[in-house]
Amino acid sequence: MARMKFYCDPERCIECNACVTACKNENEVPWGVNRRRVVTINDGDEGERSLSVACMHCSDAPCATVCPVDCFYTTQDGVVLHDKDICIGCGYCFYACPFGAPQFPEDGAFASRGKMDKCTFCAGGPETDNSSDEHRKYGSNRLAEGKLPLCAEMCSTKALLAGDADVISDVYRKRIINRSASVMARGVSYRDSSFRAPKNVGGKSSSNE
Amino acid sequence: MITRIESISNRLQRISCGGLLLFLLFYSLPVEVLAETKVNRDMPSSAVLNPAAELWRDVRQRESGSKGKSQVRGVDSGVLINANGDRWRKFRMEQLIPVGGSVLLGVVALLGIFYMIRGKVLIEGGPSDRKLFRYSTYERMIHWFLASIFLFLAISGLILLFGRPLLIPVLGKEVFSVLASASKEGHNLIGPLFMLAVVLMFIQFVRRNIYQKGDLSWLLRGGGIIGSKHVPSNFFNMGEKSMFWLLILVGSVIIASGLMLVFPVFGQGREWMELAHVGHALGAILMITVIIGHIYIGSVGMEGALDGMTTGYCDLNWAKEHHDHWATEVIEKGDDLSQAEVEKLEGSSLPEMTIVKLQESGK
Repeated sequence: MARMKFYCDPERCIECNACVTACKNENEVPWGVNRRRVVTINDGDEGERSLSVACMHCSDAPCATVCPVDCFYTTQDGVVLHDKDICIGCGYCFYACPFGAPQFPEDGAFASRGKMDKCTFCAGGPETDNSSDEHRKYGSNRLAEGKLPLCAEMCSTKALLAGDADVISDVYRKRIINRSASVMARGVSYRDSSFRAPKNVGGKSSSNE
Repeated sequence: MITRIESISNRLQRISCGGLLLFLLFYSLPVEVLAETKVNRDMPSSAVLNPAAELWRDVRQRESGSKGKSQVRGVDSGVLINANGDRWRKFRMEQLIPVGGSVLLGVVALLGIFYMIRGKVLIEGGPSDRKLFRYSTYERMIHWFLASIFLFLAISGLILLFGRPLLIPVLGKEVFSVLASASKEGHNLIGPLFMLAVVLMFIQFVRRNIYQKGDLSWLLRGGGIIGSKHVPSNFFNMGEKSMFWLLILVGSVIIASGLMLVFPVFGQGREWMELAHVGHALGAILMITVIIGHIYIGSVGMEGALDGMTTGYCDLNWAKEHHDHWATEVIEKGDDLSQAEVEKLEGSSLPEMTIVKLQESGK
């Protein structure tokens, strides 16, 4: 089976936050919950880079390790999902996660944590695929419809890639080679290479490929 | 001419550098980050520095510690990688659960062995027919208020800590989830009451728990655990006083960290909550260990130790053996009571405080 992964290319991300909006709309997540966010490092300075980040669907997920009720599971596609019927909203996954992926809607008095919500790779939850129960709890299940997560599908610069790890790394490998080629051909620095077409190289649409 | 040769040689150098870069990138792509470091080390030319190397250092906050920004509002939303999360995971999974569990089981086992060797510490002179007034109703109420809260918090906390390895195999995930949810909600709800109980306990008992003359010799003689001779002490002995201060100090750590965990609205980030969890867990394990010992002495460990906390009156011979200084003081004042007097006082409908006053004025 495939192993689903996200990859965000910091040389391409323009911090438009379309992925954040697309995710929120597609999955109808509760108030205060953002399954995906764009983080900008060195904002406004030279070398500014942005990255879109959500659950990275770790192969050995720390959230699943620390969960006191063992509500996480990994699907055959390598997607890390959790069962909201079992989750007790303790927050331990949030402490352990390196990416800040688990989110908690405010529930009841004193802003106590409700059941955890996180990116599902648009793969729903343990309920029957595309049932109304699944949609209410986890949002849409695009994977079951043969579609990829909407955040990546919407990304205008194709910075955010989603899909089988092999395919994603192939795409990224090609990008690296192209960038390196422009370093080699034009002697520009790596930093400048990604945004300009090399001299004497005609433009080409990727759709002609 | 010379400049031309120079520029050609520069060009050749660039091409060869670029070629080497391409070669390295191509053959080490699955480990891009490693490859970048490698390229940087191997390549003398700084012109081909990959800016991503800098970025990833920033992201892991290993060197710069700079925080990113995000349009998504929230505490820590600008932090891309929380490196302490893994440290916390290791603490919880590899230290707290196995070591904490062994410590608790070890204490229970040690007490079991101690009981088998020493048995119940009996009142040597046998139960006497005279009693000493020890705790007022209010004091007993505070004690049992705190005791029941502590027991509830300890049990619900232990369910959350050890439930996954111990209870899920027995109950199954669904049933355990209900139990764990009740534990979590109950722990959060009752937790703040622990603060109230500790404050009341502190106010009521602090004067009798200040260390005084005789405490050190009690400690030096091992509190009577070693050997069979009883060691005289005041109203509270050194061990009880130390437990009181441990409750106040460790209790404060547990309360402060608990408040940070239960109200995630003070702007505290994950790192603070991870730290709070470490303090909360360590404090709780320590306090539970001590309280297991406390419960042992109060129940099967010693004859007559529980009476004061249940009826309010303790046995005269018990007091002489375990709290000699205090017992002598009370007897000198002539405040010891016969069984009949105790029954009369207990049967009286007058509030306890009035009885104490009557006792004092009557003599």
